[in-house]
Amino acid sequence: MLDKSDYREYVAKNAPRSPMLRSLVAAFVVGGLICCIGEGIKDAVSAIFPSMTEEDAGAWTTIILIFIGSFLTAIGVYDKIGRFAGGGSMIPITGFANSVVSPALEYNREGVFFGICAKMFVIAGPIIVFGVVAGILAGTVGLFV
Amino acid sequence: METFLDYLKVFAVGGGLCAVGQLLINKTGMSSARILVLFMLLGLVTELVGAFSYIKGFASSGVTVPITGFGSNLAKGAMQGAKEGGVLGAVGGGLKAAAPGISAVILFGFLFALIFRSKSKKI
Amino acid sequence: MKLGRQSFVSDRPVYLCSSYTIVGPKEGDGNFGELFDTVLKDDLWGERSYEKAESKMHREAIRGGICLAGRRLDEIDLMLAGDLLNELSASGLAMRYFKVPFAGLYNACSTFSEGILLGTALIDGGAANTVTCSTSSHFASAERQYRYPLELGNQRTPTSQWTVTGAGCSVLSSIRPTAEEDAVNRADFSEKMKSMRENCLECAKNEDSERKNGKGDEDAFPSTGMRWAERIKRKILKKLRPDSVADPVCDPNYKRSRVVRISGGTFGKVTDFGINDESNMGGAMAPAAADTLLAHLADTGRSVGDYDAIFTGDLGRFGSEAFEYIMKREGVTFPGNHLDCGALFYKPEQETFQGGSGAGCVNTVFNSYIVKRLESGEWKRVLVLATGALLNKDTPLQKETIPGVSHAFVAESEPL
Repeated sequence: MLDKSDYREYVAKNAPRSPMLRSLVAAFVVGGLICCIGEGIKDAVSAIFPSMTEEDAGAWTTIILIFIGSFLTAIGVYDKIGRFAGGGSMIPITGFANSVVSPALEYNREGVFFGICAKMFVIAGPIIVFGVVAGILAGTVGLFV
Repeated sequence: METFLDYLKVFAVGGGLCAVGQLLINKTGMSSARILVLFMLLGLVTELVGAFSYIKGFASSGVTVPITGFGSNLAKGAMQGAKEGGVLGAVGGGLKAAAPGISAVILFGFLFALIFRSKSKKI
Repeated sequence: MKLGRQSFVSDRPVYLCSSYTIVGPKEGDGNFGELFDTVLKDDLWGERSYEKAESKMHREAIRGGICLAGRRLDEIDLMLAGDLLNELSASGLAMRYFKVPFAGLYNACSTFSEGILLGTALIDGGAANTVTCSTSSHFASAERQYRYPLELGNQRTPTSQWTVTGAGCSVLSSIRPTAEEDAVNRADFSEKMKSMRENCLECAKNEDSERKNGKGDEDAFPSTGMRWAERIKRKILKKLRPDSVADPVCDPNYKRSRVVRISGGTFGKVTDFGINDESNMGGAMAPAAADTLLAHLADTGRSVGDYDAIFTGDLGRFGSEAFEYIMKREGVTFPGNHLDCGALFYKPEQETFQGGSGAGCVNTVFNSYIVKRLESGEWKRVLVLATGALLNKDTPLQKETIPGVSHAFVAESEPL
């Protein structure tokens, strides 16, 4: 039979690839738009509550964006955006919300305890773990600087 | 005009970050969790070396809305905690700064999972 | 009788008495849409989860097959069934409704041809007279088990395939079907299905008189904790959207002029060429299909031209190319008779990239398209090489490569 490494080479060379330009443009446009929506929310929050510090306004923006991302996931729209935009809807904070809410929705048929709660961080778990560990490392650096 | 220029900056920087992520997906086939972790660490490290606030001054939401903003929050909180609360602050500060986001995600995830079901797809 | 290293031919005739298919809505829009017996309007089919819906499809497909064959349950000697869910849960749950011996099979997407081969061998050897071979797969349940949650917004890679939502059943028997029986069975189909369902409820009542859920609602009786809300929901569904919980149907006017006979086949070896990309199953399975086809040709002394069509299971578009590439390197070129069930399954605008896959893919295509062509006499002899990739969600994480396996069976037609 055909040599195995020959075949692997054939597959690597001939397997279809993602259309590079189209996916990059889609990611750029959708990602940019989501960031602009975030900026708009921040401006609106600052305009409504002028006494709010910029940090608080930023936190509210994050929460509102997470709500939007979660809601679009729940009604089954976010994955359609994701199919089109790829990285454009994955990297903004709404994508993080999507990666938490989608397993929670998926596993709600196994019940609240072992479904929703246990499976919620199946995909986003690494982000929290890496974030906390790296944050502690950063704090340790901060102790000595 | 000035606002328009601000939004253009946000659009360009935010979109650029996402396009870099898409490039990584296309070239390496990384899964979404890996991409998110990578960008979060990127934000965390830029904050740690002090470059994040300059980029933020330029692009505002262009870097805080992507997950890089989450990473920078963690680093900023941890550094601040270390300054104010010593070791305990250094350990807990990061998570404290990121707490609103994580709490919101857990709350909405839980509530929506109680109400909605995932739908089968045709595309 | 054994033939060569891996193959056998049946000495007794083994007939395909009937075949029945149920598919989901997306599959109904695909290239074979009109050929399936039942196309569901809603792939949840009034159930609480996609796993339950898959199990219901499996159960109803088996019932449909038995009713079309005009058999009673006690005339079935053995049920060979398999699916893609963990521990064969879809077929296992479906089997509660039949008081018939059950042998569960798993060979990923090639389970169907494994079942046909084993069924043929059992009938040929005299261990059974009538067996059913059924498999099922469901897009939503497979997606959750092998990939990501449905609502996760990630992109599919261009090498990915779409798991077919579908179940099918073939009834194999040593007794030759006749045209008169066929006509009667098709005319009485819905009545037979109804009586089988009532029979099942009766059985459950006798076994467990204390159970209250069994009253008139067959879908509810075996599972515990069927909540009142679910029952009300199902009643509302039945009123408001009756087509989403509609019963399976069959085309009463379909007439076959020929009968399909399974004349033998080749069991395949596990072949691993070191492909480790779990989103490129076609590339991982193509060597297995080529290996089995070469063994089949060597064992039987036939050439690819002896078949009117050679169907691979779910290699997809790229996998088919890779398969033909390997065969060409081995000195076998197809005279245009190699087709792939997965690549043909969906229309290009349905955005499935490589096409369909899953245990239900080759099953539903064989039981509709291929069988109908054989029964009309358009084709006389067809080879079906179902292919399977033997991996689970953890093996790629443990840096294993993807082994493939492929089983081939020969279906021939003769005048009824």
